[in-house]
Amino acid sequence: METVLSTNKLTKNFGRLCAVNRLDLEVKRGQVFGMLGPNGSGKTTTLGMLMGVTNPTSGSFTWFGEPATHLTRKKIGAVLEHPIFYPYLSGQKNLELNAMVKGADPANIAKVLEVVELSGRKDDKYKTYSLGMKQRLAIASALVSDPIILILDEPTNGLDPMGIAEIREIIKRIAADGKTIILASHLLDEVQKVCTHFAVLRKGTLVHSGPVDDVGKGEEVVEVVAYHDDLVHILHEFRGALSVKQENGKFNVRMREDFHSVDLNKFLFEKGIVASHIITQKKSLEKQFLEILQEIQETKS
Amino acid sequence: MLHLLKIDLKKMTNYRTFWVVCGLYFVTLAFTTASGMEFLKWLASFVEGFGQKININRIPLYHFPDVWQNLIWISGLFKIVLSIMVVISITNEYQYRTIRQNIIDGMSRWEFLLSKILTNVLLSLMSVAMIFLIGLITGMIYSPEIILADVFTDLEFFPAYFLEIFAFLSYALMLGILVQRSGLTIILLLLSHMIEAIIKVNLPDQVGWLKQFFPMQSITNLVSLPFARYALQEIQDYVAVGAVAIAATWAFLFNYFAYMRLTKSDI
Repeated sequence: METVLSTNKLTKNFGRLCAVNRLDLEVKRGQVFGMLGPNGSGKTTTLGMLMGVTNPTSGSFTWFGEPATHLTRKKIGAVLEHPIFYPYLSGQKNLELNAMVKGADPANIAKVLEVVELSGRKDDKYKTYSLGMKQRLAIASALVSDPIILILDEPTNGLDPMGIAEIREIIKRIAADGKTIILASHLLDEVQKVCTHFAVLRKGTLVHSGPVDDVGKGEEVVEVVAYHDDLVHILHEFRGALSVKQENGKFNVRMREDFHSVDLNKFLFEKGIVASHIITQKKSLEKQFLEILQEIQETKS
Repeated sequence: MLHLLKIDLKKMTNYRTFWVVCGLYFVTLAFTTASGMEFLKWLASFVEGFGQKININRIPLYHFPDVWQNLIWISGLFKIVLSIMVVISITNEYQYRTIRQNIIDGMSRWEFLLSKILTNVLLSLMSVAMIFLIGLITGMIYSPEIILADVFTDLEFFPAYFLEIFAFLSYALMLGILVQRSGLTIILLLLSHMIEAIIKVNLPDQVGWLKQFFPMQSITNLVSLPFARYALQEIQDYVAVGAVAIAATWAFLFNYFAYMRLTKSDI
């Protein structure tokens, strides 16, 4: 697959603070690439360098295999940190201005306003918009030049659950169109829901990178509930159990390799116990993320 | 280039403050420059109170070619109003952080600066056109007879006037880019002449010739005060080449410093 973005030891220092440290990333066409990391891990600084507003201290990057110029940026739709618009201009006028800067066809404006469902308020001044509407206008402005790549930085920050769901829907729709999306977020759940690939940053250093589908591979955890007084001991007798933990009235059994929930169910049945609840926990990105961060900490100390 | 100018004008023409400040500038400019005779009448009646008489018809304020230097010198005083608009325009971009989004959207930093410089050129040209028009009309009204040669005399004051406005607006733009806050920038802009005056006063006499090279002084030197001639004193009724060279150099430097600052810093 064609490489859209590639960074080479990209570094940014703010005085003595190293915000981004020798970062190597690769994003291929069609990926929805999640950049994960706690606040202050260098996500926005990285995107700022990629979009020409932050000067890298050292290292380099290429867009579409070529060193970036302002002309490359016209092919990218990007919103960093929070929406930025002229407050005294209407949504429509702001998008007209974006289109002029990007050299985009003004006919696209009506279309993108439709995509983000803002057509009804397009003639109102930007400063009268709610936060959700501002975020949606920002996505519209990123889409106005029909870009090949979309960069979104915390697009759901500060939104209510409905707003978050709406933005996610929009992102999924755009991804379905085959656009490459780079999404920075500290919300793991968000990345897991919309991304195909992800990278984890911590204090400016890349600590993990790979497909989201790989998450959840490895050992299984099975959640069991059954009416039996001595369930803990019986579960411990199970050959496939690595450990048993009680949590909220349920038992979480960590399985040995090659053991699955079926085996556990069979084992319980043979013991004359019928499980009222047995479920294989899907390992969440959140767990994986915390594990990754923990591993780093352990290897350091 | 025209595209960049259009982008900046689109930002401004939908901004109410722009119309208020520019309206104020052009209306005051027109009003002040056109009302010279009224001012003289007032002056005459004022002086009469002290038992003296001036025949205002013998002061050729609006006669060709006097009218050009007279009007240009007066209107030069109002450039501060226009420069405040320039400061607001650039500091807004920092305050709203729209400069960042403009760059992200695909403007180069130079293109961004150029769009602002082009607006400065346009505002300067509009001032020139306005004063030319008012000079032409008032000259036609008040000159006892219209001699074409007189009408076309002293027109070199217009390029000098253009440079005067443009250099000062460039200074305002640079200050805005360096300081980034509107209030502080406007205060510094208003104080610039005073700060420079204090430095000049403290300059030892041996290096007195340095004074003409000071930025504010060089802008002022382009068109010298004409009215002393009506008190039978000699004035500089031409544009000095040296003054133009110094002011043009400053105009270039202001924009160059702005460019350096823009490209070097994170936005």
